[in-house]
Amino acid sequence: MNSTNRKSGLSLIEIMLSLAIFAIILLPVFMTFSSGNKNIMITETEFRAHTAALEIMEQIISLPFELIPVGKFSSRQIKSDDPENPSPIPFNVTANSSFQPELEITPVKKNDKVRFKKISVIMKFPAAKTDKRERKIELKTLVANEEI
Amino acid sequence: MKKSEKNAFTLVEILVVCAVVSVFLASAITLFSNFRQGFTRSESSAILLQDAALFLAQLRNDLNNAVLDTSLTNSEIEQQFSVTPKQLNFKAYDNREGAVLPVIYRLSGKEGNASLWRKIGNRAEKELIKSNVASLTWQTEIESFSGKASGTVRLCLNINCILQTQRAQEKPFEIRTRIFPARLNRQLNNK
Repeated sequence: MNSTNRKSGLSLIEIMLSLAIFAIILLPVFMTFSSGNKNIMITETEFRAHTAALEIMEQIISLPFELIPVGKFSSRQIKSDDPENPSPIPFNVTANSSFQPELEITPVKKNDKVRFKKISVIMKFPAAKTDKRERKIELKTLVANEEI
Repeated sequence: MKKSEKNAFTLVEILVVCAVVSVFLASAITLFSNFRQGFTRSESSAILLQDAALFLAQLRNDLNNAVLDTSLTNSEIEQQFSVTPKQLNFKAYDNREGAVLPVIYRLSGKEGNASLWRKIGNRAEKELIKSNVASLTWQTEIESFSGKASGTVRLCLNINCILQTQRAQEKPFEIRTRIFPARLNRQLNNK
């Protein structure tokens, strides 16, 4: 082989360089794909958390006004039949270990009479199965005392 | 003769190039088909999520408006909220017509790929989930309380829903929840 023939070919370094550039261009394309899948997972977790929060909210709203318990309830009190639970009504929630619900019910008084009860449900949950960062959603509502 | 010999590729060179190209192509093709599969899978799970969200939102809305016709006797009241494995019947207040109308949720089609239909009043039946229902159970649960809350009852509908597309390449979507019809519970306790 003479020297002219050798010069016209591509050197290994050139090929490696072009491959590297190619990879750098393709990387964002692949990243968008995986983030799309991740977003579906996040939406799914949020939907489940929202459903679980609604479940707690609705079972309290379903009670007669005077039986709606007042106070703060921890995740442990909501999830299990805790004997120290101050509420006369047991909670009835679907088991889910990754959600941490919290509940706060405060009476709204006017002229010494409880007119409303303000119910706030906070649901804490990990952002995704592989992502342990905590996220939360909060639902709030008012229940009116119909007997006044 | 000497010149052309110098310019041509040798057999070894061609073979090496063929090997390199085929390895490259093979990896590119597997990569592509993997991505395609992954994409189909995540698309299916997005569809299932959407189906489940639509169904639960619709059912929750209907149950929140569910009412009992209290002028009827007890056994007739039980019939108003009737639950069978294939069908869910109750009466709900409809905002559009301003009247209480019968609501029917019905499962149809073959086991494992059933469809879910909803009908209210005389309006045309609509398909909520198209052949993606792997299994769906609904059960009423009535809690009666003791002590201070004695005499109070609370009714809920226990739902366990598993969805899967017909191709069944993705993970089935399972959701369990309870829906408490607020208006209906108020009515039950005021009787």
